[in-house]
Order: sequence, then C-alpha cells, then structure tokens
Amino acid sequence: MAFRDDMRRIRAIVWKDLTTERRSKAGFNSVVSLGVTILVLFGLALGPDAQALRDAAAGALWLAVLFAGVLAFNRSYQVELDGGALEALLLYPGARWAIFAGKLIANLIFVSLMLVIVVAVGLVLFGVRVPAQWPSLLGLMMLGVVGIVALGTFYAAMSSRSRAREVLLPLLLYPMLIPVLLAAMMATKLFLSGDLMNELGTWVSLLGAFDVIFLVATFLAFEYVIEV
Amino acid sequence: MSRNDTTQFGPPRPAPAWLGWGALLFFLFTQVYAVVTSPADAMMGHLQKILYVHVPSAWVTFAAFGVVLVASIHFLWKEDERADLLAAASAEVGAMFCGLTLIQGMLWGRPTWGVWWSWDARLTSTLVLFLIFVGYLALRSFVEDPHRRGQWSAAVGILGAINVPIVWMSVRWWRTLHQIQSDPREVAPVFLRGWLLNVAAFSLIAVWFIWKRYEAARYERAAEHAAQAAALGGNNG
Amino acid sequence: MGSPIEHGGIEFVVAAYVITWVVLGAMLTRLIGAVRRARTEYQQASKGEFRT
Repeated sequence: MAFRDDMRRIRAIVWKDLTTERRSKAGFNSVVSLGVTILVLFGLALGPDAQALRDAAAGALWLAVLFAGVLAFNRSYQVELDGGALEALLLYPGARWAIFAGKLIANLIFVSLMLVIVVAVGLVLFGVRVPAQWPSLLGLMMLGVVGIVALGTFYAAMSSRSRAREVLLPLLLYPMLIPVLLAAMMATKLFLSGDLMNELGTWVSLLGAFDVIFLVATFLAFEYVIEV
Repeated sequence: MSRNDTTQFGPPRPAPAWLGWGALLFFLFTQVYAVVTSPADAMMGHLQKILYVHVPSAWVTFAAFGVVLVASIHFLWKEDERADLLAAASAEVGAMFCGLTLIQGMLWGRPTWGVWWSWDARLTSTLVLFLIFVGYLALRSFVEDPHRRGQWSAAVGILGAINVPIVWMSVRWWRTLHQIQSDPREVAPVFLRGWLLNVAAFSLIAVWFIWKRYEAARYERAAEHAAQAAALGGNNG
Repeated sequence: MGSPIEHGGIEFVVAAYVITWVVLGAMLTRLIGAVRRARTEYQQASKGEFRT
C-alpha cells in the first residue's frame, strides 16, 4: 500500500521533470551539442592518426558523456530551486527516497538519450566500425550511465544548493566516479577492439557491482542530504 | 530529526600543553634516532631514510580518514555537533598528511624507480583520497548553516570512505590485466624499530593537531552561541 | 629488481625531511594562531563586547 504510493510519487516526479525538459528542449539540445563538441576537441587533441583515435575512442566517449551529463545534474535541482518548488516537494508526505528515485530516473532517461546520440556521432568521428552486437554495447553503456547518474544526482542535491555550485559538483563527483568510469571505459574499449583475453565479462560484472554499491549508498545517504 | 541549532556548548577543554611538548620532543628524538642509527642500505643507500617520514605520514593519513568516517557516522546517528567538528578537524589534518605522503612518495620514487609517479593501486588511491579530502573541505567552506554543513559533509565523508578501497581494487585490476611489473616498494623490514617509533611520534603529533583544530572550532561555535545569547538579551552563553 | 638506483641520492632524502618539517611547522603555527584567535573571540563574545 505505502509502497504503491511511493511508486506513484516517483512516477509523478519523473513525469514532471521530463515534461519540463520536453517543453524547453533547449536544455537537451545544448547538452547534446556540448557532448559532440567535446568529442571534436578530443579528436583534435588525439588525432590525426586514425589508429590512435580508434584506441582512444572508448575513453573519449565516456568523458564526453560525463562532462555533458554533469550539466544535467545541477539543472535537475536548479529548476526546482528557482521556483522554490523543492521546499514544496519536501513538504508533501511520503518517503524522501522517492524524490531521489524520481530525480534519478528522470536523469537516467535524459543522460541515456544524450548518450545514444553522442556515441553514434563519436563512433563515426573516431572511425570505429559499429559492432554487429550494438545492442549489447548499448546495454553495457547503460550500466555505466546508472553509476554516473546515481552519484551525480546525489552530489548535485548538495552542490546545487551551495555557493560555487559549478565547481563544487565536479570536485566532489569526479573522484567518486573513478571506479565506475574505469570499469565502463575498460569494458567499452574491450567491446570495441575485440575481447581477445576474455576480460570483458570481468569488467562488466565489476561495473554492475559498483552500480549496486553506489546505488545503495546514495539511497541510504539521500535522507540526510535532502532533510535540511 | 531534532535540529541541533539550539544546542549550547561552552568552551572546550583545551589540549594539554604537556601533550604538545611531549609529542614535539618525542618526534625530534625519533627523527634523529632513525636517521642516525640506520645504516646505509645495500640496495637503496640512504634513500631508505625517506621511509621514516613517508610510512608514518601514510599511516596517519589513513588513520585520520578513519576518524572522519567514524565521527561522520556518529554525527548522523546521534546528531552531536561535536562529532561533526571532530570530523572536520581530522579531515584538515589528514589532508595535510596526505599531501605530505604524496610528495615524500614522489621523492622516493624518482631516484628508486626513475619516475615521479606510477599508476599503481596504492599511489592512485592515495591521490584519490587526497582529492576527496579536498572536496570535503571545499564543501564545508561553501555551506554556512552548521546543521546542513554537518549532514552534507558527513555524507561526503562516508561515501568517500566507501570509495577509496573500491578505487584501490579497481586500479589493481586495471593494472594486473595490463601486466605491469609488481610494486617495487617491498622493502625488507630491517629498519622496523625506526619505523615504529616514527609512526608513534607522527600519531602523537596528529592527535595534538586534531585536538588543537577541534579546540579552535569549538571556540568559534561557542563564540557564536555567546553572541546569539547576548543579542537575545542574556549576558552570557 | 633492476631499478636504476642512483647511489647517494642524498638530495632526495634531505628534500623529503625539509618539506616534512616545514609543512608540519606551518601547520603548527596556523593551528596555534587559529586557537588563539577563536579563544579571544569567544572571551569577547561571552563578555557581550562582540559586535559584527
């Protein structure tokens, strides 16, 4: 019963956030453009040797998704703060974790859509042949996105309500993301370059394990972070 | 969920002067003792002596972060603001020792391995720990409300503590799969006594530093409370 | 191990110790200053003289 109510709350928050994004569109378009711009800059920094570009593609893709995605996390609270809506949201009855779950799912959808476009462009720009099992590649990258979005949504709840939010979020978030990013980059790299040593499975399961650990930790800690 | 803003506490118990002087004298003694008594190592020459400051610094770094973790959990659990101030004091002292550890490690690595830095698990996770300390302290400086600052920094401290071993492990995996040589820092513990004495001395120094930092933070909060009390019409807090 | 050990390397040892002592000394003076400042502030505030 109470659980069903929480599910309804989560759905309402997801719906509200996505509707706001859809109505403004500017946010999504600029974040995607930024991701593509970062890819171009990486290409210029690493190129023009085609082989070097292919080798670095996995890392560049993830960093482009990360740098562009970080903008989305602060935005997702910023919209609430501008209208004083977060206080209202907190006043509604119900579990606090539902707010986090709602924000997390909305960000997840936002960043995943962005990732699909950025990765498609990136594979072309970096001259990587699109693998035949591309759905598995997407699935693997979704695992990485879950880790990034869980920690990003969590830290943005603090940084967006502090002074110096632009610098504080990356400063707190990037060191925390090292395990997730490392596993995601390795898995993607092995997937794109052909998994000769049979290491892909290890990295994917590590990535999954990191996701679980950080999801649990952020869900538990969110209660304290949003309370005040 | 009680707000702690109204908790009044008076001035702290100052760190005893004998502890400070004792730590200082003991530190001077162990430093001189270790440097003078250690013979030149067959392999390393006098480079061995760097480990008498490096190993204790690293130990103090991780101990200080342990204090941050425990104090943060205690704060979230019991809402005792003193635990928050202790965590902050420990983070500040720990960040300093972490920075020292990294610099000493580089000064050791350059003549021994020929490089200032190597991407092995220990070095990388120590650097990540330093960055987490820095983020923790930055967060504190950007948030004014004491209750909010306490809760947020406790969350950051606890998640950071979860993260550091995970970084260590994932970098280890990353390195093993790439088959790079093992860590050359395995040194036969012939010089154990000098190490242990210095670990004890550095620990005492760290305890005194943390205590002093905590004392200053307590005075600051007590002053705020007293000022509030004065503004509200009472004449002392 | 075969690492390129430059025998001596004494300047690295000296640098490590000097940096350690300087940083510890700087922290010490900073802390003592902070405690003194905070204590004065508290004493003034508790006498009701503190105004900002």
